[in-house]
Amino acid sequence: MRYLIRRLGFFVLTLWAAMTLNFFIPRLMPGSPEEALRERLSKGGSVVTPEQLRTVLAEFGFEPDKNILLQYVEYLKAMVTGHWGVSVGSSLGVPVTDLISSALPWTLGLVGITTVLAFIIGTFIGMVSGWRRGGLIDGVVPPVFIVTSALPYFWVALLLISIFAIGNNPLLPNDFNYDQGLTPGFNVQFIGSVIKHGLLPAATILITAVGGWILTMRNNMVTTLAEDYVRMARAKGIPGRRIMFGYAGRNAFLPNLSGFAMSLGFVISGTILVEYVFNYPGLGYMFYNATVSTDYPLLQSLFLLVTLAVLICVLLCDFAVFLLDPRARTEG
Amino acid sequence: MRGIKRIAVATMAVGILAAAGCGGGDKPIGSASSSNPSSSTSSGGGTGQFKKGGTVTIANVGGQTWPCQFNPFNPAVNQVALGFVYEPLTFVNVLKSGATTPMLATAFAWSPKKDSIVFTIRDGVKWSDGQPFSADDVVYTFNLMKQQPALDLYALWSGAGLTSVTAAGNKVTLQFKGAAEPYFYNFANQVGIVPKHIWSTGEAASKPATWANPKPVGTGAFTVESCTSNNISYAANGSYWQPGKPYVSKVQYPAYLDNNPANLDLASGKAQWGGQYIPNIDNFYKSKSPENNYWFPPTANVAIVPNLDPSHKVTSNLAVRQAIAYALDREQISKIGESGYQPAANQTGVVTPTFDKYFDKDALTAAGYDKPNQDKAKQLLEGAGYNASNPLKLTIISVTGYTDWDASLAVVKQQLAAVGIELTTQDLQQQSYNQNLYPGDYDLAYSSQSGGPTPYYELRQQLYSKNTAPIGKQDNSNYSRYINPEVDKLFDQYASADEDTQVKLIKQISGYMIKDIPVIPTTESVDWYQYNTKDLEGWPTQDNPYAQPAPYNIPDVGQVLTNLYSKSAQK
Repeated sequence: MRYLIRRLGFFVLTLWAAMTLNFFIPRLMPGSPEEALRERLSKGGSVVTPEQLRTVLAEFGFEPDKNILLQYVEYLKAMVTGHWGVSVGSSLGVPVTDLISSALPWTLGLVGITTVLAFIIGTFIGMVSGWRRGGLIDGVVPPVFIVTSALPYFWVALLLISIFAIGNNPLLPNDFNYDQGLTPGFNVQFIGSVIKHGLLPAATILITAVGGWILTMRNNMVTTLAEDYVRMARAKGIPGRRIMFGYAGRNAFLPNLSGFAMSLGFVISGTILVEYVFNYPGLGYMFYNATVSTDYPLLQSLFLLVTLAVLICVLLCDFAVFLLDPRARTEG
Repeated sequence: MRGIKRIAVATMAVGILAAAGCGGGDKPIGSASSSNPSSSTSSGGGTGQFKKGGTVTIANVGGQTWPCQFNPFNPAVNQVALGFVYEPLTFVNVLKSGATTPMLATAFAWSPKKDSIVFTIRDGVKWSDGQPFSADDVVYTFNLMKQQPALDLYALWSGAGLTSVTAAGNKVTLQFKGAAEPYFYNFANQVGIVPKHIWSTGEAASKPATWANPKPVGTGAFTVESCTSNNISYAANGSYWQPGKPYVSKVQYPAYLDNNPANLDLASGKAQWGGQYIPNIDNFYKSKSPENNYWFPPTANVAIVPNLDPSHKVTSNLAVRQAIAYALDREQISKIGESGYQPAANQTGVVTPTFDKYFDKDALTAAGYDKPNQDKAKQLLEGAGYNASNPLKLTIISVTGYTDWDASLAVVKQQLAAVGIELTTQDLQQQSYNQNLYPGDYDLAYSSQSGGPTPYYELRQQLYSKNTAPIGKQDNSNYSRYINPEVDKLFDQYASADEDTQVKLIKQISGYMIKDIPVIPTTESVDWYQYNTKDLEGWPTQDNPYAQPAPYNIPDVGQVLTNLYSKSAQK
């Protein structure tokens, strides 16, 4: 029990430290919301004086002249109570929670599903190629995917666009999350459109992410296959497929799991470049945008989300270890 | 929205695309320079009747998904509200030296001293919810801006000296402390009139600055039919006051996050109206279809801004600035650095051909700045004590990702090297760049400003002493920190002067641009504008510049939308 309490205490402490950093780091960045707004307006052709901009921003709750410690205390309170404020960046005046809740499902859907898929596919390919070491699959598939995993996201994205989405009658759309003019809802047309628009970005993430899982899984598999219990299983005449899945695969799979937990946590932050290239309105793009326009409230909340997601995944992982590994229980 | 910021990623992305998919095939440099394609013979301008129908899709990178807010006072969203839903009193055309088109006011009359103006408010206009529009709404709009300073974006009450706005019948009088003619552009053209019956109740009345206004009620040609974070769909306002207009029945405004998809959609014709910077536009866009056209009217300058504060010894030295101005071959900068999309600027600071009326070519020629003069530049540098053994070294700050600026500065660097100036370009992140530029922490800065209906606006931003601040303090717009009481006086006279005198005053002010070299213009920044004529006609063109053409130009966008018509709907 003390182990659990210690873990929980650690969780709270890390969260506080991360939230403190989340508050101060954006404010250490060069620039301010006021300058960003001024820059954006002047590019649009409106000449608005800095004093006027300060008045506007103050109306939206941005008060840079207030004591920084006071701001910090208010920030902590606001974060905990869920009053995340309104954007002072390019979506001036929109509640941060609205912004995030409109982008979150798309990122979770796209990046979440592809991360899980990449993990499953990668693990399976890695298992098979480790099992049939030196075989045809092992000779071709892992090298190919290791090369693709070294390719930059955006490059793969642009390549896919130029193959599938350019021309007068492109096969697949190159931007957005669904066709313009459709109203979201549970109907075939809309869901079909979402899938069609998701294919290219999903393929981009898959192509670049699978390689890593294949490589680690294959290597784990190779080590596990040398274990005595595998030899024992063979000697007992257990069918090959059962050995692969039940004996070698299951054990080789364990180290990958914690890596998977971490990558699930990072799903929240999205994949900035993929979302950027495909005009996909997810959290990754929002992150980028918030940074460019020095949007403190939005940045803080996004950071908080990512921190929370990673910490919770790690905490769950800790709990799982507590349940699975007797050593963790006895040490406490 | 906005040109150059987006160039970075687009150039990178499209460059890679070309390498990966399409293959090279560059056009010769500068072939687009002088021949801005003026396209077909579109009528536009508001004559003739057309049948209704058709859709126009806008491709203009806003860099964000739509918040579905339409508060015309919120500077972050007014681009999707003004011109579409809300209309000004009078439209002022920047491209025709401030020619006016009556909108919600049928006429206006200045007092002799130009310190008060009377608008005659149009009869028979209805708000899109059916309520009648009246002079009361106009008065309410302006007084709301007085009560809530955050709404008063152009500082009419606090800066321009507006003292009262009153209505008598269908006449509305705006009273100012002093001559206020230069602010006409702001109060008549940039303020959208809002309905009193909506804005005097509920959240609109209690928090007008932050109110979301999701279902805007305006007098404009369009109403918001539906809005999602991906797309705004506007539908024609059935009770619009201009008879027969708008001809187009729908406007789609998708939220483009990045240049690349927007440019692709423009090239394929999926979007018909663009406000995009498209690198290598002839290849990427124009060649895709004979109906793809572009036009880039210049409205302001891109300039080398020297720091004139005495603490910056080198750049506050007139001879050094003159040497730079003489050494530059602006045609070459335009051709190589900007692919000819931005035309060459001149030292008077008056944008040509847009403001030709104010352009003092003789003064420019007399001073020798009409063409590059390297010998003169070398002489000046020698006179200032620089030579081969003691070369002049300067650093210019620019913005990371503004690839066209980088290209231009590479040309500038070569040209300055030829006269013995070693120029180093320092690319800064936008935020750091601002932190150097605004408080005056630089020697030279590459910078651009926005203009107005006459050269007065840009020149005043750059040269008026009240727009500057001491080193270390945030500066409004006079970044070079040029302070000259005589020039200030000319600006002050402008406000109450008649039109001919105003032209003379601008020429005098540009005389100081030549004499003091407070700013060194290199190229002219333009409105990025692409249009597809497959189904739509009535676009603003070089021959018929009835409004600034880019979809991010507000309220000009309203002028364009009421002139467009669909060819297929005419059959």
